[in-house]
Amino acid sequence: MGKWSAIFLSIILAVCLSVVGLSSSSFAKDKEIAYLSLADYTGPIAGLNVPADMGLEDYIKEINSKGGVDGVKIRFIGIDTRYDVARGVSAYKRYRRTPKLLVVNSIGTPIGKAIARLIERDKRLQIVPGDGEFQAHIGRNFIWGPAYQDAFAAMMDWVMDDWKAKGKSGAPIVGFISWDSAFGREPLRGGKEYAESLGIKFLPPEFFPPGTLKHDVYLTRLEKAGANYIYAGGVEPTPTNVIRDAHALGLTKKIQFLNGYWGATLLGIGVHAKALEGTAIVSFFERGEDALKNKLVTDLWKKHRGSMDKFNEVYGMGVSWGMTCEAGLKTALKAVGYEKLKADDMYRAYQKLGGLDKHGIQGPCAYSQTSRRGSLEVKIYRVKDGKIVPITGWRKAPDGVSLHKF
Amino acid sequence: MRISKIIMLCVIIPGLVLGAMSCETLKSLTGPKATLDVIPAEIFLSPALIKKPVAFKGTGFEPKEMISVEMVLPPGLKMKGINEGEDVGIAVATADEKGNFDAVMKPTATLNWFFQVGWTPLLRPNFKEAKPIPPGVYTINATGLFSDRVATSTLKIVPPPKKKK
Repeated sequence: MGKWSAIFLSIILAVCLSVVGLSSSSFAKDKEIAYLSLADYTGPIAGLNVPADMGLEDYIKEINSKGGVDGVKIRFIGIDTRYDVARGVSAYKRYRRTPKLLVVNSIGTPIGKAIARLIERDKRLQIVPGDGEFQAHIGRNFIWGPAYQDAFAAMMDWVMDDWKAKGKSGAPIVGFISWDSAFGREPLRGGKEYAESLGIKFLPPEFFPPGTLKHDVYLTRLEKAGANYIYAGGVEPTPTNVIRDAHALGLTKKIQFLNGYWGATLLGIGVHAKALEGTAIVSFFERGEDALKNKLVTDLWKKHRGSMDKFNEVYGMGVSWGMTCEAGLKTALKAVGYEKLKADDMYRAYQKLGGLDKHGIQGPCAYSQTSRRGSLEVKIYRVKDGKIVPITGWRKAPDGVSLHKF
Repeated sequence: MRISKIIMLCVIIPGLVLGAMSCETLKSLTGPKATLDVIPAEIFLSPALIKKPVAFKGTGFEPKEMISVEMVLPPGLKMKGINEGEDVGIAVATADEKGNFDAVMKPTATLNWFFQVGWTPLLRPNFKEAKPIPPGVYTINATGLFSDRVATSTLKIVPPPKKKK
């Protein structure tokens, strides 16, 4: 083969290898990983998801502006699923082969459960809301905080404390009202057993279709059955609207109303402060006055979003997701370095994040080889003079998940 | 002779390299041919689609694999929540032991992607904000999420019949 032929062949080979190189992840200009949020920006729970992803995105911007995590930047990919499972699966299909896609956040449990098989197959991890099944069957699905039934059980502990503090003997009667859906029923899968173990008389729960405008029938039934406490589930603004109806019926004077961790936020209280007065809320992330005092969170909001007028405390939860991703990436990079970094390394790293400090936004991270709980602690808040104020410190939520057979 | 060798090498080397890159695609073509039926193949938009939704039947996929059914949006059609160039997922299914599947559009999919409704904070669809997708012939793809097999069909959306005066 002559000299010119060899040169010609070398050029052809170089071109081919460049095509391969350009199409592979190893040709990235910046070192970066990807974070996919299967979100809801214009659908039914956009009111909660938009501020949460704002917090996450702003936190990622801060990390990237400082050069990334040990030189590796995070690329945020936010997809609007409109809370639709088919769209969530399709979006995951589209992005699952994104180079170094290490974390997926599914905003709804149905989307999380639908893509769980693909997550397992792709040896990746996803973070998901608080369905107890993700803790009962340890896999690659990490919940954001304690499970729904854990938080419900913690609220039942507070109910017993409150009952005794009022000088009453024995145990109270508790009612439950929520959406007629798997999510609506989830707190009871273990939570009901916990309440009954405390001696609480638990009334037959009331379920209504999401989108119900008035809740009078269900509330009246619980009142007639003698409820001392009523736990209003669902995602804001549903809990606020249930209590609005209870207030109109005069029930809030004689029954203590309770909310789960997607209950009343600052925005809901801005509209129905009078009705919500006295409501107790169990939450794994900072609410109301606590959130407004968290300098890290409020400084980030002011820097990226300006005025505090539209601040929603769910923003802090998004910041917390960012902290987890940052710490996971740091751990994974330390273990294998950037070039060898795969989604499975991030999954392994997340299991080593137990104890990670969340700057007061929520309790320390509780992820481990045997735990998929984002944290174990909750706080009880109360609506007082139109503000959400803490009435307990962080307290460990009971393990409600283990009381149910999944 | 030497020139013909060089030409041969120029064809073989890029062929091997590019061939290796596309082996995933080849893999998806080697299995049985996947098929998709859209039932009915022609509709007009009406609230009846919530109670009697568009359904899909497919064959030729891997046993027990997940299937994503997607609608291909024609260029220029803007859809709430969808970036330009993206297909929109309208149904999900799991194939049976024989690689066949049945799926229907859930109410949220019909409302979000056919009617493009808004949502009230109370989780009720808001038809005042609805922007129904225009009549036309839409390509529908069913993709096996383990095998990458794709089956294609179409859905024709026609204008609603005119009301009798």
